[in-house]
Amino acid sequence: MNLQHIEQYVAGRLGEEESCAFEEYCLANPEFARQAEYEQRLKAGLAIVARGSTAEFVRSDSHQARWNFAAAAGVLLTLFAMYYVWGHHAARAAKPLMAAVATDSQRSGPALRLAMVRGSENAPVLPDGSVRVEIVGLFDLGSHYSVALDRLERNTYDTVATLYSQHPTSPVTLEVMVESDQLKPGTYSLRVRKQASGEESLDFSFVRF
Amino acid sequence: MDFVPGGELSRRIREGDVSAESELIRQFEPGLRVLLRRRTGGDHGLLQDLVQETLLVVIQRLRGAGIEDPQKLAAFAAQTARNLAIASLRKAERQKTDVDTDATDRNADPAQNVDAIAADIEAALAVRALLRELPQARDRLMLKRFYLDDHDKHVICQEMDLSEAAFNQALSRARKRFREILEERGFAKRDLLSLGL
Repeated sequence: MNLQHIEQYVAGRLGEEESCAFEEYCLANPEFARQAEYEQRLKAGLAIVARGSTAEFVRSDSHQARWNFAAAAGVLLTLFAMYYVWGHHAARAAKPLMAAVATDSQRSGPALRLAMVRGSENAPVLPDGSVRVEIVGLFDLGSHYSVALDRLERNTYDTVATLYSQHPTSPVTLEVMVESDQLKPGTYSLRVRKQASGEESLDFSFVRF
Repeated sequence: MDFVPGGELSRRIREGDVSAESELIRQFEPGLRVLLRRRTGGDHGLLQDLVQETLLVVIQRLRGAGIEDPQKLAAFAAQTARNLAIASLRKAERQKTDVDTDATDRNADPAQNVDAIAADIEAALAVRALLRELPQARDRLMLKRFYLDDHDKHVICQEMDLSEAAFNQALSRARKRFREILEERGFAKRDLLSLGL
């Protein structure tokens, strides 16, 4: 058995007998089985991402500048829209789902620290209430950052809140407030991106029970 | 095929050696996951349940009557998993006809649902990170065509003007990086941990 068999099995191209032989080989060879499982997970992950948007696959590097311009225009438009909506609905709006850290009292409440930890075994759990989320990374104090909160479903992910123009509190931390009680149970991801730059975003997942 | 100490394991389990049972779990769990992942349609919770149930059935059988040909222990475990998957599918089909939706919603365990979707979501997060890292649009498109559109490797190479060696190299890089991303984020170990290993 070799990689070609894994590809054929995952693609569903093996016949009944061949599939049975492949599966028994996997049981007898745990490391080979792990390789096959990574292949299955890669395919499943690609399928989920594609259900959200196929744009991720066809993004062209040569059009980066155009995308940056479009993103900047989008940010401005979104900021204007947010200002307009908030202005009209402030009276009846509850606390926003996500906001900048504004007061000292917020610093003494519940907090969650999100960091990329090699070998981390469990997704962190968001506590109840108004939670100060401390995002650990390398930040440029002179730059603005956008923070997007995605809710991850089985087949897709929806952005439930986005903050723009956030300043890091230190070269290694950026903080936002998240209203945990307004989030449905599920898996979420915070995406932090340096605005007006081509840098990749930092993704941090957590769970809300 | 590699040597599988099926006979030896069977004998030790029959004699009550608990460490042999742990060995059997470590040996078979990855393969069972592959087999059952294919038959559970992305339902991670069901996958976990069936892996555990299969291991339990195999161990109980070895503690008791044993199997006819201990050298065919892997085949026995694989067939047990297939049978359990079919039984589970039949049960789900029967339940579809008389589900009390309100009661199901009331009894839904959010934590379990989160756990059930977590594994595939983690893979999706890793894929998204991988796609961002891939330097060329060609590589991203190649992955899509190979894994999602199920296009034949030769057709992809021909249409994208790629040599097979270049295709395999790009695919191998993507696989390796995907595995690294899962491991870096601690997602690779979750399944083993849920089995208490």
